[in-house]
Amino acid sequence: MTQPPPLRLHSTPDDRRIAALAALAIAIHVLETALPSPLPGVKPGLANVITLVVLLQYGWRDAVWVSLLRVFAGSLLIGSFLTPTFALSLAGACASLAVLGLAWRLNPLIPGQGLGAVGFSILAALAHMGGQLIIARLLIIPHDGLFHLLPVLMTAAVLFGIVSGIISQSILIHIRQE
Amino acid sequence: MIRTKILTSADIIVICAALVLLPWLYSHFWGDGSQGETARIQVADQTPMIIPLQHSQRYTFDGPLGSSIIEVQDGRIRFVESPCRNQLCVHSGWLQNDAEFAACLPNLISITIAGRNPRFDSINF
Repeated sequence: MTQPPPLRLHSTPDDRRIAALAALAIAIHVLETALPSPLPGVKPGLANVITLVVLLQYGWRDAVWVSLLRVFAGSLLIGSFLTPTFALSLAGACASLAVLGLAWRLNPLIPGQGLGAVGFSILAALAHMGGQLIIARLLIIPHDGLFHLLPVLMTAAVLFGIVSGIISQSILIHIRQE
Repeated sequence: MIRTKILTSADIIVICAALVLLPWLYSHFWGDGSQGETARIQVADQTPMIIPLQHSQRYTFDGPLGSSIIEVQDGRIRFVESPCRNQLCVHSGWLQNDAEFAACLPNLISITIAGRNPRFDSINF
């Protein structure tokens, strides 16, 4: 009887970088669930700081990887995989990645410096909240009354978007100085 | 050093756009919060019927005295015609705010507006 050859997975430096960044995002994501929230659905979303830094430092493709890995692995760790929370989280991530992708492509067309972390962050936060709310409307609470929450949720999204944007930009300035 | 500023000019435009969007959202989704969305119509001892106020339409309900005609228009509702003697229900006029109420007691028909933030739990006369 011959032994099957051992399975070897080859990882590139890119893979390892993405894995490390995703691990960082997952850690922040898990820590953040311990924070009390004033309103269901309102979270600072500090893990998105990592997504933004990755986007601005390594590009959109890496940001997609890091963000989706965070959603999947984070939900496995918290125990919310395939629950409604997970659906909302995934919808938010996909919506914000789509908007970030679009903004990332269009950004070189903007004269001057273009968008910085804060601009991307606000766009991502608004898209995240929008995506979540659409999925919540379709799957969880099929009633238009849900949209009455929109103003408060969007206000929170803008505020937290600005905060994460400023944090991301400070990190980027720090990284680029080294 | 590539970029030392926290905000670029494009960022400031995005922030301004977001700050314009928010008041619009508040006025669009929260403006006139007392406006009713549905009306609850009770005929005698039947199960109450909920009708939306978004669609203009006329309804006819049959009570013990005959038919009462109720009209919905532009988010408002009223008794148009009722076979009662004193016509109090018709004189109640249009109802549109939360918890507003009109009844035709002789014909056993009542209308209550139900909105998203009811002002009263119950009203006694």
